[in-house]
Amino acid sequence: MIQTINPTIKAVAVLIPGILLSFAFDIVTPLLFLVYLLVLTFFFAAIPWKKWLLFFLPLSIFAMGVAWMTMLYTDESYQTGPVLFQFLWFEVTLGSLQVGVSLALRSLCFITLSLLFALTTDPTKFMLSLMQQVKLSPKITYGILAGYRFLPTFQTELVLIKQAHQIRGVQRAKGFKQKWQHYKQYAIPLLANSIRKAERVAVAMESKGFTGDRHRTFYHALTISLKDWLFLAGMLAALALAYYLSYQLGYLRLIGQ
Amino acid sequence: MNQWKLKDIVLLSMLGVVFGLIYLAFFGVGNVLYGLLTPVGLGPLSYELIFGIWFIVSIIAAYIIRKPGVAFASETIAALTEVLVGSTAGPTLILAGMVQGLGAELAFAATKWQDYRLRILLLSGVTAAMVSFPYHYFMSGFAAHASWLVITMFITRMISGALIAGLLGKYIADQLAATGVLSGYPLGKERQQREEQRSA
Amino acid sequence: MKNSDPHSQPLFQLRQFSFYYQGQEQAVIDQLSLSLFADEITLLMGASGAGKSTLALCLNGLYPEAVEGKTEGVILYQGKPTQAYAKGLLNQKVGIVFQDPESQFCMIRVEDELAFVLENLAVPREDMQAQIQAALELVGMEDYLYHRIHDLSGGQKQKIALASVLLMKPDYLILDEPTANLDPVSRLEFIEVIIKVQKEKQQGILVIEHQAEDWVERADRMVVFNQASQVIIDDQPAKVFANYQDILHAQRIALPPAYLKRQSLPQSSPTAAVPVMEVQQLAFRHRSQSILHDVSFFIYPGELLAILGENGAGKSTLLQLLTRLKQPLEGEITFQQKPLAQWSEYELRQRTGFVFQQPEHQFICDTVYQEITFGMEVNEMPSAYIENRAAALLRLLDLEQHQFQNPFMLSGGQKRRLSVATMLDETPEILFFDEPTYGQDAQTTKELLGIIDNLQQQGTAVVMVTHDMELVAQHCQRAIVLSEGGIVFDGPPCHLWKENQLLDKARLRAPYHERVTQKAATIG
Ligand SMILES: Nc1ncnc2c1ncn2[C@@H]1O[C@H](COP(=O)(O)OP(=O)(O)OP(=O)(O)O)[C@@H](O)[C@H]1O
Ligand SMILES: Nc1ncnc2c1ncn2[C@@H]1O[C@H](COP(=O)(O)OP(=O)(O)OP(=O)(O)O)[C@@H](O)[C@H]1O
Ligand SMILES: [Mg+2]
Ligand SMILES: [Mg+2]
Repeated sequence: MIQTINPTIKAVAVLIPGILLSFAFDIVTPLLFLVYLLVLTFFFAAIPWKKWLLFFLPLSIFAMGVAWMTMLYTDESYQTGPVLFQFLWFEVTLGSLQVGVSLALRSLCFITLSLLFALTTDPTKFMLSLMQQVKLSPKITYGILAGYRFLPTFQTELVLIKQAHQIRGVQRAKGFKQKWQHYKQYAIPLLANSIRKAERVAVAMESKGFTGDRHRTFYHALTISLKDWLFLAGMLAALALAYYLSYQLGYLRLIGQ
Repeated sequence: MNQWKLKDIVLLSMLGVVFGLIYLAFFGVGNVLYGLLTPVGLGPLSYELIFGIWFIVSIIAAYIIRKPGVAFASETIAALTEVLVGSTAGPTLILAGMVQGLGAELAFAATKWQDYRLRILLLSGVTAAMVSFPYHYFMSGFAAHASWLVITMFITRMISGALIAGLLGKYIADQLAATGVLSGYPLGKERQQREEQRSA
Repeated sequence: MKNSDPHSQPLFQLRQFSFYYQGQEQAVIDQLSLSLFADEITLLMGASGAGKSTLALCLNGLYPEAVEGKTEGVILYQGKPTQAYAKGLLNQKVGIVFQDPESQFCMIRVEDELAFVLENLAVPREDMQAQIQAALELVGMEDYLYHRIHDLSGGQKQKIALASVLLMKPDYLILDEPTANLDPVSRLEFIEVIIKVQKEKQQGILVIEHQAEDWVERADRMVVFNQASQVIIDDQPAKVFANYQDILHAQRIALPPAYLKRQSLPQSSPTAAVPVMEVQQLAFRHRSQSILHDVSFFIYPGELLAILGENGAGKSTLLQLLTRLKQPLEGEITFQQKPLAQWSEYELRQRTGFVFQQPEHQFICDTVYQEITFGMEVNEMPSAYIENRAAALLRLLDLEQHQFQNPFMLSGGQKRRLSVATMLDETPEILFFDEPTYGQDAQTTKELLGIIDNLQQQGTAVVMVTHDMELVAQHCQRAIVLSEGGIVFDGPPCHLWKENQLLDKARLRAPYHERVTQKAATIG
């Protein structure tokens, strides 16, 4: 299960293919890799598919937008082949269609990679893993974790500020100008309160004997095992295979070609 | 790194988290703009127009805390938040965040982290745009775009960086300082000194 | 005092110690000289705003750095200045429970919070689970291991704060009003736990408190501060209360009930027959956990109604339902014969008032003065009226010197008073207070009650959540007790004190004089 892969290794395994994929401008390479990622997502990461679609669908619309845009504004060097159709004053050629679809597929790969990581990783464990495996200093790790502690509480904070305004009789905003004022009335106190909290959390951490030095034990110990290396190798091998097959089939097109 | 206090780290991390959320929301704004501009034939400019928003935390954090590395770290954390909360652009977004943060940091580094006047903040927005543009050129395949368009996009991004990140960033930080919560940080202290001088 | 022996070495030694907050000319602590010993329990008392909490944070080295303050003189810990200790080291030796437990946590879940302490001390991983379990059992919170701290009630948070400090096994323990949010039985249990730990470890403890009642017999020594944090009395607690009552009064310190005559409540049952608010079959739940069910009662004009119950009983939740900050799952609430849901927001807020349990939740302005005038400005009162009223409130609640200060930078008691003051700008029909008097000294408690009394005279119904049974006995005509999500008692407090079984179940305790009489009766 991908949930159990060490978070640091997982991040590397997701990041490197992401970068390497950016060299391909053909359709087949990202398509093959996307198929691999989908298989991985649906058979090896227990992500509820409804939840996955909830994230994936809106994002893929964005990817379609990218494809469309690229098609209309293709650089001359890519505007090869016959003209397929005209849209307003744009001419779309076979070459530009190809580039557009390729970039769209690349976006889909990025999205799938991102979801594969985000939906199977606990942020706290990720930070702890960075400290335990990459030797990030505890001061920075816990400092950042303390910042993340605010994430689930923002909603509560917002509710509290809203309640305070209600109780104090701040009136509902009516016009556009009042609404803008209102935004400020919420946004600045929300930020100010968060800053105050941040300062206090730092004090609280020190009051509990946190010194920031490396001599400490871990309640949640994270390790790297063979399985993690296999996962990384699998990701890289899959991408290499996608490039190779695309080359063999004669489709491969790299940047600047 | 060693001159960072724990409270600096927590603050910049908290800012990173808050603005990570705001950044995500602005993808929506970008999409709306995109929808509006595409019929006029200017679709690709939509994101560039508001690109400055994605540098803003660097400038706010650096302006408040005023230590080396703050611009870079806060932007990285913001990007990390986006990915962990579920973002559009994929894990490479973290890399993008680091590149943008580095760009913003350049302006402050040039003054040896001594000068935080408006002009440097504006400059920081511009350097963030300058450094991040090649990155996106490569990652998003701008190479496939016509060159006049690429140049227009680049200029738009620089202006947006200066105005949205630099100017708006300073405005927000100053508003915060006015509430008194920043008295423990360089920006708040500078403000207090100025007030004391004025009253003296 | 155990350490009358002049040769024994004090653990803390303060020499002419002064402390200034950032940018302030006047010292909060002014030339304080004091010794604290490693094996005695010291009770520290003083007016609200005297600088007790400030001292606590100076002792364990968090101040001046955390607030960029300025100091003069020295604090020696085991003969060495506190500032000479490596950062964090002193914190491991001197544990502290903050006055405001909200600002004491750095993790999301109870489990991680406690583990964090052990990690800092480099306790081996295998031992952690057992130690965490033991600490939670000590404070009676073993069922809450996986809960989010954010979701706990005020008192439950305080218990977790204590558990995590006990895990540190500090050499010296500072408790800043540790029981302010606890129900009466938890309060006693909490004190018992502390005494037990102290006996085992022969550890020094500094307790800051406004209610000395339960500490008088347990503390070895009592120190009294004047307004400038100078020591004016230093003796055994029983002697202090017996001999220095005038000084204590001048320093606004409350005498324990044992030193006061029994006061009887003027029995005036509400005359009006038409309730201001009717609550029928109210139910509320958090996700799947039922918090309140089948709650029905009426509130009458001009009455002072106390809502009592153990920590987590749902008192704060009930008030939030009655003020429409939360929506009930079932049941109906009517205010002035009209369903609560049908009131316009503007009118509802004008006719009702609410004070949160955490004072900071109330604040929306940048200065104390703005907070006080805010409501009046919203209601467009004439400016002369606003000025007069604000000045009177500031004076009455002893906030005059702080009117230009940021509300978040007040002392615990000052914050509490300010949050109450924000609701006293006019005379609404019903007022809800979530523990309005905790953390107050004798004088300000009296002023607050005076104001409440005044409002009652004018027909305002006041509903108050409180853990202070003395207050209930002396001022409330009626009490409602919540237990296990329902109402188990509704009637005059004097009847409540007789129901021993019910008191046990709801973790309440009869007030001092009542207990004494009952004891005398059983012996006689
Ligand atoms: N962060 C701060 N900045 C400036 N002034 C402060 C700050 N914190 C407290 N003060 C002021 O210092 C004084 C002492 O505060 P402190 O919290 O020590 O009082 P206290 O004796 O604990 O009172 P209480 O019994 O109400 O808790 C108060 O007048 C308060 O307004
Ligand atoms: N957001 C929440 N999510 C889950 N449970 C909650 C939440 N808020 C409160 N609770 C639970 O509801 C119960 C009632 O809480 P409430 O704050 O009303 O108690 P209380 O009677 O005011 O206690 P105290 O005297 O300690 O303030 C508690 O058990 C608490 O843990
Ligand atoms: Mg205090
Ligand atoms: Mg409560």
